Amino acid sequence: MNKGGARRYENNRIYAHPLPLSFSDSSSNRTRSILGLLGLSRSQVNNPHCEGYYDASTRSVWVVTQRDSEILWRRGFFGKGNLSRSEPSWFVRQVQDRQSRKVKMTSEEIREKRRVERKQFKLDRAAAIAKVAAEAETIFETEGRVVVPALFGPEIPSGATWKPKAAEIEPSLDLELSNAEGETAVENGEGGEEPLEDMEHLQLTLSEAFFLAWNLDCLTILDPETACDEPLSLPDIWNTFQHAHLAFPMPRFPTSELQFDNPFLVHYAVYHHYRSLGWVVKNGLKFCVDYLLYKRGPVFTHAEFAIVVCPVYEDPQDQEISNTDLHNASPFTWSWLSTINRANSQVMKTLILAYVTIPARQRLSRQTLNSPACFAHYSVREVIVRRFIPARMRD
Amino acid sequence: MDDNLEQPHAEPKVQAGDDLEEGEQSSGDEDEGLDWTKLMPKASRPIIPKRGDKEFEPSKQGGSGLQQHILQRARNAMFEALRADRTISNKSISYGTWHPSLARVSVTVSRGTAMGSIGHTVPRETTISNGILKTQKRLELLPEEAIYLIERGSLMCWKESGMEYPNDGTFESVSGSPMTVQQAYSVMIGQEDLTMDRYQVYAYLKRLGYTVTRTKPPSPFYPIASPYPPSLTTLPSSISFMRRISALFASWISKIFSFLFPNSFNWWRPLQISKWLRVDKNYGFIFRSLRFIPSGHKIPIYTSPETKLPPSPYEPFFNLYKPPTPFRKSAPPPPDYQMVVVNARTTPMPSLRELTAIYDQAPELPPPQRRVRNPPQIQGVSYKKSTGTSDSNILVDSQAKPADHSTTSPSQSSTMPSFLSGLPSWLYPRTAPPPPKPERKPNPFAVLRQGKKTAIIATVDAGTINIFRFAQGAFEAGPWF
Repeated sequence: MNKGGARRYENNRIYAHPLPLSFSDSSSNRTRSILGLLGLSRSQVNNPHCEGYYDASTRSVWVVTQRDSEILWRRGFFGKGNLSRSEPSWFVRQVQDRQSRKVKMTSEEIREKRRVERKQFKLDRAAAIAKVAAEAETIFETEGRVVVPALFGPEIPSGATWKPKAAEIEPSLDLELSNAEGETAVENGEGGEEPLEDMEHLQLTLSEAFFLAWNLDCLTILDPETACDEPLSLPDIWNTFQHAHLAFPMPRFPTSELQFDNPFLVHYAVYHHYRSLGWVVKNGLKFCVDYLLYKRGPVFTHAEFAIVVCPVYEDPQDQEISNTDLHNASPFTWSWLSTINRANSQVMKTLILAYVTIPARQRLSRQTLNSPACFAHYSVREVIVRRFIPARMRD
Repeated sequence: MDDNLEQPHAEPKVQAGDDLEEGEQSSGDEDEGLDWTKLMPKASRPIIPKRGDKEFEPSKQGGSGLQQHILQRARNAMFEALRADRTISNKSISYGTWHPSLARVSVTVSRGTAMGSIGHTVPRETTISNGILKTQKRLELLPEEAIYLIERGSLMCWKESGMEYPNDGTFESVSGSPMTVQQAYSVMIGQEDLTMDRYQVYAYLKRLGYTVTRTKPPSPFYPIASPYPPSLTTLPSSISFMRRISALFASWISKIFSFLFPNSFNWWRPLQISKWLRVDKNYGFIFRSLRFIPSGHKIPIYTSPETKLPPSPYEPFFNLYKPPTPFRKSAPPPPDYQMVVVNARTTPMPSLRELTAIYDQAPELPPPQRRVRNPPQIQGVSYKKSTGTSDSNILVDSQAKPADHSTTSPSQSSTMPSFLSGLPSWLYPRTAPPPPKPERKPNPFAVLRQGKKTAIIATVDAGTINIFRFAQGAFEAGPWF
C-alpha cells in the first residue's frame, strides 16, 4: 500500500463516525437477522457523555479532558484546539520537540515544512528567470536578435517539475544517536526537566456546543462561576447563549430583552441546517466568510462551499428599531461581493449566500423565544453566487 | 505544487476540468472576441496585435535595451492598428432613418448578415402620392441596435427632416441629414429606456456573437419570445419488487409503533431514537430527524400588509441567445438567458425579495450533464463533443458500451433456476434492470452548484462589466452526505 493509501485507510478508520453517538449491537447474527425481517433491532446508542465549561469572556465552551476532546474532534470535527491549527496537537508537538524524534507529523509541522519548501522553490524560480533574461539580453546586444525572455519554459522550474533538495540524508545519522538518548531521557523522567502537562483545551463555539447538548444530548455544560461546577439546564443554556451575544458579557444579567434577531439564533439556524444535511461546518474566517462546508471533514478534502450568512428581516421596520448590530443585514456593495467571490474562487470554493428570514415582531409573540420552538418560524435558503463569463458560455 | 505536500487533498483533477467548461471564475481570456475586421477587404484591414505576456519590472534605470525595444515594438503595433482606416464595401452597407418621435430607426435598405438577427418589422401607415393610406411593413431598429450598427460601420443613418436633398448618385437613397457616430450616441442614449450602462452590455454581448433582444417589449409590435416549456417530470425509478416489499413493511412497523407510543415533537428533545425500530438505528435517521428548520425557496416570505416596497430595478432587461441557437425574428425561441443590467455604484445588491421575484419567472434547469471528454475513438466514427447525445453518433461496433449491456443481461436471466421459470415474472427477485444507455450520474457537487434557477445580473461600473449568476440553491433536495 502506498503512502497515500495507507494514510487514507488510517483516516477512514479514525474518523469513521460522523457524530459523537455511535451504535453497537451485541446480539448474535441470527437474532439480528430475525429481528431485521420484522423491522426491529436491538442495537444500543452509545453516548460518550462529554463535559465542557462555559466561558463567558470568550463566548465558547471549553472541553478540558483529553478523552472528551478526542471524541468530539474525531467524531464530527467539533471544536478547535486553542493552541493548534485545528486538532488539539500541542501536547504531541511538545513531546516530540523534547524527544527530537518525529514519530507522527502533525499538521502544524507539515505546514512549516511546506512553507520552507515553497520559499526555496520561489528563490530557485527567480534565479532561473533572471538567468534566462540575462541570456536574452546578451543575444540582443551582440546579435541584435530579439528573443523574448519567457516566464515559463523548460529551463524554469514550475510547480510540477521542482523537487526539494534531499536535505534529510545527513541528519539521519544524528537522529539515530539522539533517538537512543531521547528514549532513555524519557524513561528517567525527562532527565531533570519538569513533567509535561497538557495546557491545551478544545474550544467549541456556542453553536457547536448547543448542537451537541440539545440534539445529541452528549455534552454537559458546566458553569465555572458556581461553587461546584453545576451543570446548566437546557433552558439556562438557551438563555445564556442568547444573552452572550447581546451586550458586553456580564454574568447573566437580564438587562435587555431577547429579540428574534439575536445573532445566536440566526447563526445557529444556519449551522444546524447544514449539519442536518450531513456537512461538516467549520469557521470560515480565513476566506472572509462565515462558514465553510466540508463533505466529510477537513482531514479528507478541502471545503467545497463557503457560506455567508445574510439575515433578512421579514418586516423592515424591525430592522430600524432594533439595537442589535446584525452583520450583513443590509445588502452589501457589489465591490464587496466581488471581493469575496474572487477570494473564494481562487481557492476553488463556491460562494453561497445563506439568507435567514427573521420573523416579524408583529406576527409572533415574544413568548416563543422562551424555547427553541421559535426555530419553526425562521427559514434558511441559499443563493449560489458565481461569475458568468459570456465569452466561455457561447456554445 | 502544494497538493503534493499538504495533508488534505483537493478533489481529483477531473473536477477542475469539469468546472472549466462552465466558466472557471478566473478572468483569463474573457476579452477574446470575434475579429470582425476580417469582414473587410484585405488591403485596409488593420492588424490587431495579439496580446503577449506581461513584463514584470524594468531591470535598471528604466529598462534594459531589450526591454525598451520590446516595449516600443508593442506600442507601434497598437498605433498602427489604430491608424488604419475603417472601410466597408459599398455593396454591404445598409441605410436607415432616425425618427425622433418614434425613437426608432427605420431601415430603408437592408444588407449584410448582421441584419438577420437585429430589428423587428413594424407595419406603418404611409401616404402615397395619390392620398391613399397604405400600411407598409418596414424594418425598425431599437436605439441600442442602431448605435451598435452605426459604430460597427454597417449602417449609414440619416436624421429625419423635411428638407429634400438632391441625390448626386453617391448614396442610394437620401432622406434627411446624415448623422455621425457621436451624434447617434448623444441622441439615442436616453431614449426608450436605454442608458449608457445598458448599451455597453448590449454591445459587449453582440461583439461576442450573442443575439440580444429585450425582455419587455417596448411596443406592441415587438415580438415576444415564446414561453419556456413546462419542465420535464422525472420518471419514477424502477425499484425491485423485494426492496419495495421490505420498505413497505418497515413503514408499517413504524406506523404501528407511533400509534402505540404516541410522542409529539418535543422541542427540548428533538432527536428521539426509539429502542426497537431498526430504521432508527443509523446515522441517516439521525440526520433526517434533525432537518426541522424550514428551508428552501418554496417557503413564502411573509410581508406585512403595510409595508410598501419601493420599485425595484431588478427586472430582466435583455434576452440572450447563444450564438449557435437558431433565431427567427418573427417567432423567437425561449431565451437561453435573461439578464438584468444595473449600475454598480448606485444600485445595491439585490435583496431576497427582489431575487425571488426574478426566480418566479425563470425556468427550472435540468441537472448538469457530464461532458464527454476525450471519448475512446472508434474507427471511422468521430464523436461530437456534446452532452448526452453522443450515443446517436455511435456505429454499431462490438466495442460500443450498449452492446456490452445487451450481452450481459441474457446471461443473467439464464442463471435463474429452471423451476422458477413457471412462476409469474413479478415474483422474481429482480435486480435493478440495466439502464437503457450508459448514463453517468451528474457530479453531485455540480448539481449543488448549479441550483434550480438562475438570475443573471450584469453590473456596470464606468465601463467595466462584471456579470454574476445568482442561482437558487437547493441543498435540502440535493445529494446529502
